[in-house]
Amino acid sequence: MKMTEQLKKAQANLVPGAIVEEGFLGHDRRPLADIIQHDEEAFAEHGLSWDAVAERLKYLLVEGEKGLGEPVTVEGKWRVFVYEARGQFACPWEDGLFHKDSVTVQRLENGKPVGDRLVFNQLCIHMLEKHHFLEGLGSSFRLHPAALRNVLNL
Amino acid sequence: MFPLSTLAAQALLIGGVSVLMAVMISVIDSIVNNYGDVQLDINGKKQVTVKGGSKLLGTLADQGIFLPSACGGRGSCGACKCQVKSDVGPHLPTEVPYLTQQELRENVRLACQVKVKADIGIQIPEELFNIKKLSCTVESMTNLTYDIKEVRLKLPEGSDLTYTAGQYGQIEVPAYGGIREPSARAYSFASAPQEKDTLEFLIRLVPGGTVTTYVHKFLKVGDKINVVAPVGDFRVHDTQAAMICVGGGSGMAPFRSIFRDMEARGVLGERDIWYFFGGHSVKDLYFMDWLKELAAKYERFHFIPAVSEPGPGEVWEGKPARLIDVLAERFKTEIPRELAKEGYLCGSPGMLDASMEIMRKNGMTDDKIYFDKFA
Repeated sequence: MKMTEQLKKAQANLVPGAIVEEGFLGHDRRPLADIIQHDEEAFAEHGLSWDAVAERLKYLLVEGEKGLGEPVTVEGKWRVFVYEARGQFACPWEDGLFHKDSVTVQRLENGKPVGDRLVFNQLCIHMLEKHHFLEGLGSSFRLHPAALRNVLNL
Repeated sequence: MFPLSTLAAQALLIGGVSVLMAVMISVIDSIVNNYGDVQLDINGKKQVTVKGGSKLLGTLADQGIFLPSACGGRGSCGACKCQVKSDVGPHLPTEVPYLTQQELRENVRLACQVKVKADIGIQIPEELFNIKKLSCTVESMTNLTYDIKEVRLKLPEGSDLTYTAGQYGQIEVPAYGGIREPSARAYSFASAPQEKDTLEFLIRLVPGGTVTTYVHKFLKVGDKINVVAPVGDFRVHDTQAAMICVGGGSGMAPFRSIFRDMEARGVLGERDIWYFFGGHSVKDLYFMDWLKELAAKYERFHFIPAVSEPGPGEVWEGKPARLIDVLAERFKTEIPRELAKEGYLCGSPGMLDASMEIMRKNGMTDDKIYFDKFA
């Protein structure tokens, strides 16, 4: 995949300190275009749809917000905890501002959280849906395609 | 094929040009971005000469004046507002989302976004002059729950920090892992102002949170850590109105400070207080013995705990319910409607909004509801 001017600009915003202290790339040193292309291939391998994943994450965010700062059980299937932080941050693609929050989702078995844990925020959903960007390997908010499939029951 | 000497000469040429360009950029930068010394006028009372070229927030900090900031100057919290009396150019797109129409008209700016390029005059609240940066030592760290730690800090000798119960401090953690610069976040004091040599905080681990991750995973007893304090105007109002207090999770922090302060001043039993505290499951609750003791000792202190979903095997004597549902129920069954009341809230915006809605429905007015929003 070619690094367009837009991707080059976004990549500059992904480094630590540009928008968030930790950045969005973790220890991933690949060009942004390669990260996106690799994750698009992984999405296809896992049979995931970008729109369906984004919709499910939005649904869990909305349900989790009903916990008003405490975890909630959603449909008996998921434990969701939404923590709202002060302020908002810009998308690295410079196409929107998103409230800072931290959403944690785990699948439940017999009432207990099991398996992979997803950690994301509103910006993560936007970047997934609009830019097919799941963050770099090692990033705190990285959404692994396999974890998305396992946790979201898609 | 080119001979090796030709390639070496080309490499040398390219290297030389690169060095020359770097030098030129450095020289141009020093000329274009050299703003020299500029005059900074604060409230028309204090004039200092500072070196131009830095952001106003950092420039003020260098002068020992600390504006509130929950994001460490990255333009993502909107806390470091101050009125600029001189022309520093139009508002930036990064400032506008955080400012009201009135603030825009009054040229209120985010100090972390405004660069000091020329003489500048600003207006800030007088109380900000009392904010200090303190190099504290971690005295103890206690796990209160699986995700909330009590962090007790020893203040530096002679710091003479004076604060009001309900205020907060900005904890600054150093660069770590992939994070290249120090980061700061705001946390309410849990200690009583009467404890002159220590500060306490209740810090909940936020998944992906920069400062909370550092505190929970890396900070240890004996470490030095900077705290900018005291900040904020959340405090108990000196009336005889009943206090309806709501703060779950780490939102207990300001109330722990407030109740300890009131007890130290001998006024805790002098007005009605309802404190609503809750969590998702029983393992989210802490300081229960202390709160039950207060309720037993002071007839007018009512402690109302809530648990929304007791975990497997957990025993919870009450009916599982969210904190705000318990609040609504107690307004119906226990809190007299005719009683003069003030609301005190600490927590997430969603919890605060829901609590305020219940308070309004029960005859309380917004001007008597005070809050410390996490966001």
